[in-house]
Order: sequence, then structure tokens, then C-alpha cells
Amino acid sequence: MRGGGLKVYAILYLAFLYAPIVLLPLFAFNDGTVIAFPLQGFTLEWFAALLDTPALHEATLNSLIIAVSVAILATSLGLFAARAATRYKFPGKPGILGFIMLPLVLPEVIVAISLLAVLMQLGLDSGLWTIILGHSLLCMPFSIAILQGSFANMDQSLEEAAIDLGETPLSTFRLVTFPLVLPGIIASLLICFTISLDEFIIAFFLSGNEPTLPVYLWGQLRFPARLPVVMALGTILVTLSVLLLVVAEFFRRRGLKRAGLEDTGGFL
Amino acid sequence: MKDTTPPPAIITLDDVHKYYGDYHALRGISAEIRQGEFFSLLGPSGCGKTTLLRAIAGFEDISSGHIQLNGRNMEGVPPNKRPTNMVFQSYAIFPHLSVAQNVAFGLRRTSMSGDEKKRAVAEALEMVGLKDYGRRAAHALSGGQRQRVALARALILKPKVLLLDEPLSALDKKMREQMQVELIKLQREVGITFILVTHDQEEALVMSDRIAVMFEGEIAQLDDPELLYRRPNSRRVAEFIGMMNFLPADVISVSDGRAEVEVAGLGRAELDAAQCPGGAIVGAARIGLRPESLTILFEGQSPEGGRSAEGVVEEVVYYGDMTYYDVLIDGAPNKVSVSMRNMPGRRVLERGAPAHLAWDPRAMVLFS
Repeated sequence: MRGGGLKVYAILYLAFLYAPIVLLPLFAFNDGTVIAFPLQGFTLEWFAALLDTPALHEATLNSLIIAVSVAILATSLGLFAARAATRYKFPGKPGILGFIMLPLVLPEVIVAISLLAVLMQLGLDSGLWTIILGHSLLCMPFSIAILQGSFANMDQSLEEAAIDLGETPLSTFRLVTFPLVLPGIIASLLICFTISLDEFIIAFFLSGNEPTLPVYLWGQLRFPARLPVVMALGTILVTLSVLLLVVAEFFRRRGLKRAGLEDTGGFL
Repeated sequence: MKDTTPPPAIITLDDVHKYYGDYHALRGISAEIRQGEFFSLLGPSGCGKTTLLRAIAGFEDISSGHIQLNGRNMEGVPPNKRPTNMVFQSYAIFPHLSVAQNVAFGLRRTSMSGDEKKRAVAEALEMVGLKDYGRRAAHALSGGQRQRVALARALILKPKVLLLDEPLSALDKKMREQMQVELIKLQREVGITFILVTHDQEEALVMSDRIAVMFEGEIAQLDDPELLYRRPNSRRVAEFIGMMNFLPADVISVSDGRAEVEVAGLGRAELDAAQCPGGAIVGAARIGLRPESLTILFEGQSPEGGRSAEGVVEEVVYYGDMTYYDVLIDGAPNKVSVSMRNMPGRRVLERGAPAHLAWDPRAMVLFS
């Protein structure tokens, strides 16, 4: 059969990517404290244990507060940057944009340590807001990349046409610009939310005594007996992340379709 | 008979300059655009025609000079407060709105009631031939239909001046020719001043009452299409509008603006002042002659007034209705193009055939 080798390779590759993640729900529903085969039987005990762990609830709440704030902050800032990047020419534009996009490739641990050092130098306490700032830094490049696409797909003369027809710059944004980049804004909000929710390193360095969900998870790994509970929590997180990404992609594609544009690639 | 007094100016441009950094995009534009006329800004890309249009619309600030619109100085007046509306090159149809919503967009800030708006939209759509298209999604329209929606949307506000930025350049040839005719009709119907930006000289000639030919940020000539074609005031304008043959000539004498010239290969001719739009000075010059002002004489034909020349056909291009010949006239240093209408019983000459040419000195234009 032609291409047989490639097919085997593709299957192996996908197995390597996703087999560990498949193990997560497997052990989350497994009736046994040891993470090993053979499976012991089906149980919802570990999910039930999640419910009566106050520390977990606190961490979840922290993560949600952070993720929502980050999504809003990074997307708002990204909106300004993306519009400026696609609409205006200004001195040093490539350099400035390059610096904004740099966190994409910068080792996260370096960013985290630098942020911690700055906070300590300023004598500020770490807390939820420091994680929000750190995550926003991390999410901005994603937000800008998505929104730049939305703005680039939008004909510049649409805004001029609205002004020409009597609207002010502000009402033009509300009536024309915003509806046309809205799918991008929603996609950016969802992706920033997801990134922030899953992020560990910056949260670990900056969380102080207010752990986020991933930090709490990491802490639980020290207790082998808690491992199945961690698996259960992980299962929920993975499901949530994938769901959010799918919704984000759905909005991005719908936006393209509405504007009658070709799909030029996205995250999914 | 035509009314000889021109209508009053709706737009007065007074020494308008525009700089982009060091780049001098508009170099002292002064012109009057009259009420109700179809005015074209014609020129090659980069000549400043679009910049001038956008300056009139208010999208570009001018560096110096004045733009007066309907008797009001436009300095500091933003585009949304000017009595102009624009049809953009890309049409700029709002993709998230329906056709009717697009057309009604400009009515948001008027005091019209909902019913009045509906009626106005229906009227505007009917005017551009899209009567039952109101509920359609805007992004599903064809190029020609988008063009019509853009026109309806701009005209519904009854602007003093409608600005059109290369509105036909995205359409195919057939559609473009059809829209040219429709635009002329529409302009006559609504009586609004149209200012058209185009790089297509044929389009400008077909549609305009007057044309300003622009090169490098300056108006080279502003005239009606016929004058522009028959009496271009410079070689550059002559070459840009249609096809023009040039032959070296000697100005022998000038008196009262009339010039006596000796044209290479064609001989003596006397030109009146109108034929010397750039003035005449004794000495070396050039004569311009359109291809249709030269005629190839066939057997039995004799030139009117006896002006003729001999030459050889060097190239033949057959267009169906017309044939273009490149002819080298005896005694002329360069070939000239001659266009002949193809008629029954008239054969098409072949390459290398001798050509007996007649020419009309009244069609000549002198360039220094």
C-alpha cells in the first residue's frame, strides 16, 4: 500500500501526543489509589473528593478571577496594539511589535524570575494582581496575533465610509469596527482565558500564598494518595481547555464567513 | 443652444499644497468645479489625483492653500461634517449589514422617521436598479451590484458633491462600459456635482463635462473632453490622452499668433492661435497629429485642398472596425500611425505597400 509508512508514522505521532492525556481520565475514574494497570474498577470517588476540598475551591476561584481579568486586560491592550499595527505607520514599528511578541519565545521561567525580582526590588507583595500582570504579558502576543488578523481582514475604507456618511470616529468604532472584529475579540478572550487558566510557571513564582489551580495541583503531587484526585481535576481542566479552544475557533470562522473572507488558517 | 454662462462654482481650490514629509504630493492646485458638472481628475498613478479627492472629502489635511465647498472654507471641517459623500475604490460596503442597512447607514443622524427612511432607501435602491435587493446580505453581491449599493448609499444623503475614487477599475470591460453610461444618466438625473478620479483617459473622455489632467501634483490642463483631445497644451497631455503622432517641424514665421510651419515629410502648413496652445516661437518645434487626421487615399481618391504625401506601410494592425497602419512618410524621420475605418469594398493594405496619404492642417497642434 502506498503511503503505508507515513500512515504508521502519523498514528505513532498522535499516540505519543495524546496517549498520556487519555491516561488522565482513565485513572481519574479508576477505583484505586495507585496509578498503575490493571484498572481496578469504575468510581466517581475522586471527583467527589474534589467537592469537599476547600483549598481546591479557593485555588479554583483564584484561577478564575485571574483568567477572566487576564482575558479582558490582554484583549483590550491587544485591541489597541493590533489596530495601531495594521492602520498606522510610525517610527520603530517593527521593533516595537517585535518586543511585544517576544514573550512568545522567551523562556517562561526567565520571565517569571525577572518579574519576581522586580516585585521584590519594588518591595511589593505578590498576589493575584501580580499573576494577572504576568499572565497578561504572556497572553498579549496571542491576543495581538488574533486581532491583527481581524483588522488586516477588514478593509480600511469601511471606517472611512462610516465617517464619510456622518458618523464620528467613536460611533464608527461601535457601528463598524467593533462588529467586524468582534469574532476576533471573542476568540482572543477565550484563548487568553485558557492560557492563563493552565499557566503554571509564572503563577508558581508570583502566587505567594494564593495558589492558582495548577499551582495547587503541583502541591498535591507530593501526596501519592492524592494522585487520583489530581487526575480527576486534570481531566476537568483538559476538557474545559479543549472546549474553550473549539468555541474560540468557531467564532473566528464564523467571523470570516460573515465578512465573506477566505480562511487563511487559525489555531484549529 | 447651450447656455454660455457657466454655472457657479461649488468647489474652489486655491493654491492647494500637500506634503507627506518631504514628498510634495500636491503642488499648488487651483481650480473651480462648477455646480452640477461631471468633473474628472485624470492622471497616471501617483499624480496626486486621489490625494486631491481625499483632501476635498476631508480625509487628508492640506499643508497650505484653501478648499472652499459651497461657499464655506473647509479648513478644520472633518469628513463627517462636509457636504460630500464618497464612493470608494473598494466600494466599502459594510459586510455585516444587509443591502438596505448599508444604504440607510447615512440616515442614522438625520431627523427622518422610520417610514421616511424606508421610503428613501427604496427610492435610492430603485434609482440604481436594485429594487428588490434590500434584504440581501451585502457580502453576497457581485462587483457591479456592490458598486450600485455604494452609489445609493452615498446619494441618499443628497450631498452637494459626490466623490468617486476609481469606481469602475475593479469591474470587467463590459460591466465598466455599462456602468459608465449608467453613471452619466444618474448624474444628469440627480443633478449633483460628480468628481471622478480615474487613470483611464477613455473613461474620462466618455463621462466628463470637464477634465483636469494631472501630472506630479499639478494640473497640466483643465478643459472639456473635446478641447483636451483636439488641443492638448503639451506633448505630455497629448501622449496621455489618446494616441498622437509627432513630427519635427520648423516654425518659419509667427504673426498675430498664427504660425507658418514646415513639417518634415508633410510640407508647409499655416496654424492659427488655437492650434498653438503652448504658444509659438520661431525655430525648431514639433507637430502633433492624431491617427484619424491622416488618411490613406485609395485609387481614384484625391486629397481635399491637394495636401498629400507619399510613404510606405511598415506595420498593419487589424481591429475589425478599424485598421491601424504605421506609415513611414518620405522625408520624415519617424513613423506615424494612421487609423482607417474599414468599409465594404475597401481593402486592407499589406506591409510594404506604398501609401498615398492626405492630411488636414486644421488638425495639427504645435508643441514647442
